[in-house]
Amino acid sequence: MIHRTFLQPFLAAAVLFAACPPSGAQQKNDLVTSLSSDVVSIQSNFTGTEIVIFGQAQNIERQPNDPSSLDLAIVVEGPPQDITTRRKGRFLGVWVNRQAERFQHVPSFYAVASTIDIGAMADRDLLDELGIGLNHINLAVSGVSNVPLADRDDFRKAFIRLREETGLYSEQETSIQFLTDTMFRTNIPLPANIPVGEYKVKSFLFQKGEVVSSTEETLAVAKIGFEQITFELAQYYPLVYGLLAVGLAIFTGWLAGVIFRRD
Amino acid sequence: MNIFVIFGMGGAVGFLSGLFGIGGGFLLTPLLIFSGIPPAVSVATVTTQVVASSASAVVTYWRRKAIDLKLATILLAGGVFGSLIGVILFQVLQSVGQLDLVISLSYVTFLGAIGSLMLFESIRAIRRRKSGVAPKARRPGQHNWIHGLPLKVRFRRSKLYVSVIPVVALGAIIGFLGTVLGIGGGFMMVPALIYLLRVPTSIVIGTSLFQILFTMAAATIFHAMGTKTVDIVLAMTLMIGGVIGAQFGARMGQNLRGDQLRLLLALLVMGVGLRFAVDLLLIPEDLYSIAIRKGAGA
Repeated sequence: MIHRTFLQPFLAAAVLFAACPPSGAQQKNDLVTSLSSDVVSIQSNFTGTEIVIFGQAQNIERQPNDPSSLDLAIVVEGPPQDITTRRKGRFLGVWVNRQAERFQHVPSFYAVASTIDIGAMADRDLLDELGIGLNHINLAVSGVSNVPLADRDDFRKAFIRLREETGLYSEQETSIQFLTDTMFRTNIPLPANIPVGEYKVKSFLFQKGEVVSSTEETLAVAKIGFEQITFELAQYYPLVYGLLAVGLAIFTGWLAGVIFRRD
Repeated sequence: MNIFVIFGMGGAVGFLSGLFGIGGGFLLTPLLIFSGIPPAVSVATVTTQVVASSASAVVTYWRRKAIDLKLATILLAGGVFGSLIGVILFQVLQSVGQLDLVISLSYVTFLGAIGSLMLFESIRAIRRRKSGVAPKARRPGQHNWIHGLPLKVRFRRSKLYVSVIPVVALGAIIGFLGTVLGIGGGFMMVPALIYLLRVPTSIVIGTSLFQILFTMAAATIFHAMGTKTVDIVLAMTLMIGGVIGAQFGARMGQNLRGDQLRLLLALLVMGVGLRFAVDLLLIPEDLYSIAIRKGAGA
């Protein structure tokens, strides 16, 4: 659940309006962004939420099909992970994991929103460099791999697809809405299974295939209350966690044995 | 997953375990796996659930003084060792990506073998009852090769004088299997104690339960520390459902014949084993899978 009230997005918008002086006073193509909340708290009843990103780009003057118009891409990235992707094959009639590819330092969460098709915004090299778009995420592989070169791309595709299926990776082209000529907003859904940690929200303003302005903000995803206690115990005090589990189990069993006494 | 569904599964397996007088781990772990919970989490969490279900029964046997504490302690020493080896193997298999396969293959083997043994035994018993032939009485004085082993110890409660080697080995094997497969192992321990060590039937269940309780407690702690796959919330939900279900099962079980119960249980066990076999042989829905190895959420 998002920490603050539902008024938060509107407040953020109001602040933006107040913070941006009339055009001309500032440098052209300046980009200002704000999040509806900079903390996402995960409680026991957390079933996912969404984060609203507001912003204003000076003199955006959007004209569809006009190459000189400005376009936006917003990327939300979770803390990095190492993930192994495996493929099953038949072995003595049984389906077993055969090949494996380990992707290193890939985002645990990745969502991108844009005003137009990502491929039309800039050339491939720039998108790869900035990591904008699911096809442009840097999926570095470890040196050890038993995957034939010809199949490597299949592993990348499968990895992205599996992450998309769990809602942890998403791409929403043309999902950034304009409220006025210069103000925009977009919603990034955060599913129930998002990992905790420090997230980055990067916004890029493109013109003629070049980045003319960009911003970066942080979003903290943290567990609170009961969720936080069990998570931290399990991670940092596993012995205590194990003893607690055993204690609860013996107590539950003993209590049942006493309550339902049959002899 | 919905907490009420999990509660219901715990209750259903608890009912069956009360009905058949079994721990139920070998039904609960597969049920969790089939419902989409990762096999590693299912196994580790069921070890915790087994602690609760055996604790509940141990209370009764303790009160009846039907536990051989000395025998249980030696079994337990083996069990803790076996469990430790089990967790180490578990982690190795997890890192090479073959854990799910080994769990499935083991279930196919064990459930298939035990299910068919039970099936034949119960059919024979039912036939015998119908034809009116009295079953042959067991001869408790009979000795086998196990009684020739060195390091003998006297177990007064069980009226036994037997080597500690088979006792420790038995505890270790069951502790190992229980930790890797998420089962208490009572369905293997009880026959082994009766047929291999000749422990009196009046003592065997309480002693087996006592050893399972503490071996599974050790397994829970090892899993929590090693594989970090114990889920307390999931375990609590399962155990509360389980202990309630077991009460209803036990009441219903009193109205059914032993051999009929065993036939039903045999069919159930074989069904679960078959399901694992089918999943291994059919083309998987998705050939690819991912596992987080390091970093956030690993």
